[in-house]
Amino acid sequence: MVPRFRQALGFQESGLVLIVLVLGVLLAACSGTVRLPAFARGPDGVRHRVFTTDAAGNRAPAFVARNKFFNAQNLAQLAKDTSFIAIMAVGAGIVIISGGIDLSVGAVYALASVVGSLVLRHYGPDGPGAGAPGLGILLGAAAGLGTAVLCGLVNGSLIVALKVHPFIITLGSMAILRGFAFVITKGQSIGDFPAVFRQLVRYEVGDGLSLVPLAVMVLVMVAGWIFLSRLAAGRRVYAIGGNELAARFSGIRVGRAKLGVYLLAGLTAGISGLLSLGYYGAATSGDGQGYELNVIAAAVVGGASLTGGRGSAAGVVLGALIIQMISSGIVILGIDQNYSQIIIGAVVIAAVVLDNFNTWLGRRRLAQSPP
Amino acid sequence: MKKLLLPLAVALLASAAAVRAADVPRAITLGLVAKSQGNPVFQVARVGAEDAARDLSRKYHLNIKIDWRTPNEEDAQKQAEAIEQLVLAGASGIAVSCSDANKLTDAINSAVDNGVPVATFDSDAPASKRFVTYGVDDRQCGQQVMDELAKIMNGRGVIAILAGNQNAPNLQRRVQGVREAAKKYPEITIRDTYYHKETPQDAAAKVEQVMEANPDITGWAMIGGWALFTDHALKWQPGTVKCVSVDALPACLAYIRSGHVPVLLGQQCYQWGYRSVEHLVDKIVFKKDPDAVKDVSALVPVNISNVDAYARNWDKWLPH
Repeated sequence: MVPRFRQALGFQESGLVLIVLVLGVLLAACSGTVRLPAFARGPDGVRHRVFTTDAAGNRAPAFVARNKFFNAQNLAQLAKDTSFIAIMAVGAGIVIISGGIDLSVGAVYALASVVGSLVLRHYGPDGPGAGAPGLGILLGAAAGLGTAVLCGLVNGSLIVALKVHPFIITLGSMAILRGFAFVITKGQSIGDFPAVFRQLVRYEVGDGLSLVPLAVMVLVMVAGWIFLSRLAAGRRVYAIGGNELAARFSGIRVGRAKLGVYLLAGLTAGISGLLSLGYYGAATSGDGQGYELNVIAAAVVGGASLTGGRGSAAGVVLGALIIQMISSGIVILGIDQNYSQIIIGAVVIAAVVLDNFNTWLGRRRLAQSPP
Repeated sequence: MKKLLLPLAVALLASAAAVRAADVPRAITLGLVAKSQGNPVFQVARVGAEDAARDLSRKYHLNIKIDWRTPNEEDAQKQAEAIEQLVLAGASGIAVSCSDANKLTDAINSAVDNGVPVATFDSDAPASKRFVTYGVDDRQCGQQVMDELAKIMNGRGVIAILAGNQNAPNLQRRVQGVREAAKKYPEITIRDTYYHKETPQDAAAKVEQVMEANPDITGWAMIGGWALFTDHALKWQPGTVKCVSVDALPACLAYIRSGHVPVLLGQQCYQWGYRSVEHLVDKIVFKKDPDAVKDVSALVPVNISNVDAYARNWDKWLPH
């Protein structure tokens, strides 16, 4: 069914889209309805609770009944929860396509967040730079993203220069970067950012829908797609992941390409960290612990091959979405959370098995087709 | 006669339906978001919440369900997401133990603005719109640990502080409490504060490492009982190194009996869940606010004289 659907839609990720649709329909059908408080926007643009008044003059809050899964707020929440991992997964997915691995993305996320947060706090309501929040946002973003890019560059340089397996280098840098984050923050949570920064990232449209993280995720995905499928640099990543030796002999500067992919992984971790700063309003050195595994899981579920040479930006984003849908589905369906790790782990394995089966079917069809 | 029977039957059916509708208990779902699944104290809080749900359902003719949404490892972002998801899933109220107060404040405020009251337990978010917080006063807790330790060390010696996760604000306040109280005892020196991942194995390994490197340490102020959740965490002869620890889980009690730890200060973890549910039900059903926003729970001293009586509580408190 998946190959047919893929054939019908004519793009590589159609199978994943089908899984997302089926999951969505199942969750919408099984979730039932929920009574949510009714809100309306006043003339000042601020959302207020809606109240009803009965014949006796008693005011009571009004509620609206909606499908637990298929309602705008839940879908916006799903997109937002997916975005932090999905954005990182695009960069880490490119590393995986090149045949490498980056275990430090969670630590880069934490370090970029705390460096950005220290600058932002300086320009926050109680900071010495309170009068220039715009400058603070620019400097905070530059500091966070700059730190993340630098981390990626260091990872890439060590991997290329020392010719050590990226697993070892990024395992080490994971601990080092988290250590730096702790030393910088002294274990404290850093908050109090300029209000305009928080409002920008938490900007709401319609019925309280926070769509900025979703928009950034889509932008990063499109940029990743353009890089991988429309630029020569992206094609070189596939070539290196498919066969590094052959790529080297065909004239590709493998070291430079590898440096680039680790830099991109750092950059996307930094973007995700900045977005979380704006959305959640604080950073600690403990942020993003274990996210590297979530990111790798998203990439694998999204069709990236851990041996390299295969995968796409849209695929890893869809992989992150599928994992988040299952995680949210566990809450929506009221399944005991004790089982959540078992369910998500099983889905990751099932996705890899299905993908392998699909690849095998494709190869068999190719072998059977007339010359 | 037939003309009379029909309205009578309709009236009977209608009244039976009305009685049945009145009989259906009001359904209330309460979200419980603790810091991490793996920490046994939060599993005890969960039992407390579920027991409170059962007791209060019976008492007030309600159908209270506890929806446990706790990250596998400490992660404030995941906690914020869980609060947002619980609101969208229609929870009537939420109790949360905050891994990072700054990060959870917006999620708590948003839940309250959406008509979902929030209580905090164990670790508070003081700048948020939560209507009550239940737990120990962390600075006092640290001071009490130090005072008990000073008492059994006769006011002299070299001590170390075992402090768990360096990012947790409640633990930082306990460390501050220990250090403040230590100033009262000039003959006591604090060697250092030692942090570790909050697993029993990591905590026990940290104690062992520190003792290897600092054999002159004669006392431990443990502001959490992580190390004592394992067997044989304290490798010294009973009485040679004094130790006072917060938490009095069943595994910790063995150290009282063996003489390694003269005093444990039990946090009321079961009550974290039980009291939080009581507060939420009062707020949701009876529109009643607590007398004070801070509902402080006392630490329960456990020593050789009351250890067996205290141990019997665990038959009720542990997950069944």
